[in-house]
Amino acid sequence: MTLGRRTVPYALLAPGAVWLVLFFVVPLYYMGKLSLESGTVGALKFNWQWSNYGDALSLYDTQFVRSFAYAGLATLFALLLAYPLAYAIAFKAGRWRNLLLFAVVAPFFTTYLIRTLAWETILSDQSPVVGVLDFLGLAPGGHVLATGGAVIAGLTYNFLPFMVLPIYASLERIDERLIEAAKDLYASSRQAFWRVTLPLSAPGVVAGTLLTFIPASGDYVNAQFLGSAGNQMIGNVVQSLYLKQTNYPSAAALSFVLMAVILVVVLIYIRFAGSEALMGEEAR
Amino acid sequence: MRSSERGTRGAALIVAAVVAATLALGLAACGGGGGGGIEGGGEKQTEAVKLEGKPSGSLTISNWPLYIDSATVPAFEKESGVSVKYIEDVNDNAEFFGKMQPLLAQGESGGRSVFVVTDWMANKMHELGYLQNFDRSGLPNFEQNLRSELKSPSYDPNRDYSAPWQSGMTGLTVRTDLAPDVHSICDLFDPQYKGKVDMLSEMRDTVPLVMKCMGVDPGEATEQQWLDAIDKIKGAVDSGQIRRFTGNDYARDLTSGDASAVIGWSGDAVQLQADNPDIEWRMPTEGCILWSDNMVIPVGAPNPTAAEAWIDYVYEPEVQADIAEYVNYVTPVEGVKEILAKREPELAKNELIFPSESFTKKCTIQPTPTGEEEQKITAAFEAVLNG
Repeated sequence: MTLGRRTVPYALLAPGAVWLVLFFVVPLYYMGKLSLESGTVGALKFNWQWSNYGDALSLYDTQFVRSFAYAGLATLFALLLAYPLAYAIAFKAGRWRNLLLFAVVAPFFTTYLIRTLAWETILSDQSPVVGVLDFLGLAPGGHVLATGGAVIAGLTYNFLPFMVLPIYASLERIDERLIEAAKDLYASSRQAFWRVTLPLSAPGVVAGTLLTFIPASGDYVNAQFLGSAGNQMIGNVVQSLYLKQTNYPSAAALSFVLMAVILVVVLIYIRFAGSEALMGEEAR
Repeated sequence: MRSSERGTRGAALIVAAVVAATLALGLAACGGGGGGGIEGGGEKQTEAVKLEGKPSGSLTISNWPLYIDSATVPAFEKESGVSVKYIEDVNDNAEFFGKMQPLLAQGESGGRSVFVVTDWMANKMHELGYLQNFDRSGLPNFEQNLRSELKSPSYDPNRDYSAPWQSGMTGLTVRTDLAPDVHSICDLFDPQYKGKVDMLSEMRDTVPLVMKCMGVDPGEATEQQWLDAIDKIKGAVDSGQIRRFTGNDYARDLTSGDASAVIGWSGDAVQLQADNPDIEWRMPTEGCILWSDNMVIPVGAPNPTAAEAWIDYVYEPEVQADIAEYVNYVTPVEGVKEILAKREPELAKNELIFPSESFTKKCTIQPTPTGEEEQKITAAFEAVLNG
């Protein structure tokens, strides 16, 4: 009854691999085939139509750039909001810690769609929020809803927990004695933070930015409800190509281009941020 | 490092195995699928349904949610002896099409005998050869009671394959307190309402109405005229005149005052007005777009005899009165108004539910471009929406 040492890992991997093959690789194969077809629905032909890819890039470059700009800004804002929050929960919250963590996760009890629709009300033209922003000169044209700003705000809000939780997890694991040691060696609080706490929490920051940036670049719900015609993202274009224009090949090609671009961006980022930071100490 | 090298080789093996398995599966699926999938089908000749004696057996109907009262189906079952499975699984024309298309391409209807889809989708399905023609001998009520202005739409001039379920009008929905002077589609382009105008993301509603403002008859419009109207809309987007494109959610913008005048549907307005008396649907001075959701019989429909019996049943004015009383859209059946005038006089007087012929005289039955023209025009319109 002893499985060979070599076969055990494969046996353990098998269920996950089967899942991946059925629900990721097989659909991917069909999408790939579809992306190289031409013609209209009902009369699609597979003929290695590589021009679908060229068209996808040249027709929708604006939306690509916009998607990554929006996702990048949302990631940045989420990081600026999440780090202090995670820090406070990990080190300062004391017995409120669990309650605060619950508060971060609580919005997930409502669906994504409802949360986004709530922002329509928050940012409505007559709302006090917009009144204040208008007073501060931050609402050009007197409205915030149906602008790029609203889309970025919605993205930031919707993905915030994905940023908070990994950062919290990595901060919470830090041995506080390391910070004490830094202070014993005459580091100021600020120096201790920059030289000890921040580097040790880097894995959380890298994981959080990826978990925010990747889904945010492909998001279409925020742009649909909070944006206007000039603020639509690449996800909206894919949706429109699939459901409204029934141009399946172009939609498939565009999805592949999006996947490839995100992959490249992420690889560059990991290279830059260092895979050690991503994997934590295990990589060493 | 040795252990990690072994890890890499192991991972490579797994990837190779996964790829091999995928190819095998993919090929197997391809072999089995035959001409199915999205690429199959496309035969254009339309066959007529074959009626067989008296209706019996069972019947499956796909309709939109909240589109029928609770009494009509049981009453039909009792009268005809047919057992009905009534499912509300049509939420969006394009989405429903996406779901049914692979089946229809193989000549199957997924057990359904009647669908309800909007004009342009009925046309599209017909062009792809996914529908059957009616046998008119089984539809005496339909023959006699269909409202005259719905009798010959451009896409199905003899009503060979489509029977209106309910109809509606697309026109102006305004906040009378914020935009009292908006009476025409052209007024929506008045800079006074900059940033306070919504239009529908449904191309076949918005673009034809803008054509009317430009003095073009949408029923006869050429590809260039569609594109010109789309250009005009694009200009209004770029200048900030149009706030955004919506589906039914224009209701939210109107209620909050974020929009003061929009392109909207008559059926919504009956309900909206009940909630907020400042909201009003107006017939544009240029006229409206008159659309219908239609009952169609798909290819491969089981029990077409019962399907026709159902279609004819709802064209009995007494039956239709129950439906009209519940849904508040424009009923396609003559004689219902007289029945409801006795039952619910307020409803019978409402021009949004029972428009008089003079009220709708400038209206156009919802047009749709077809074939390659459709793809090009849709792409241009979607390009404006996704700027």
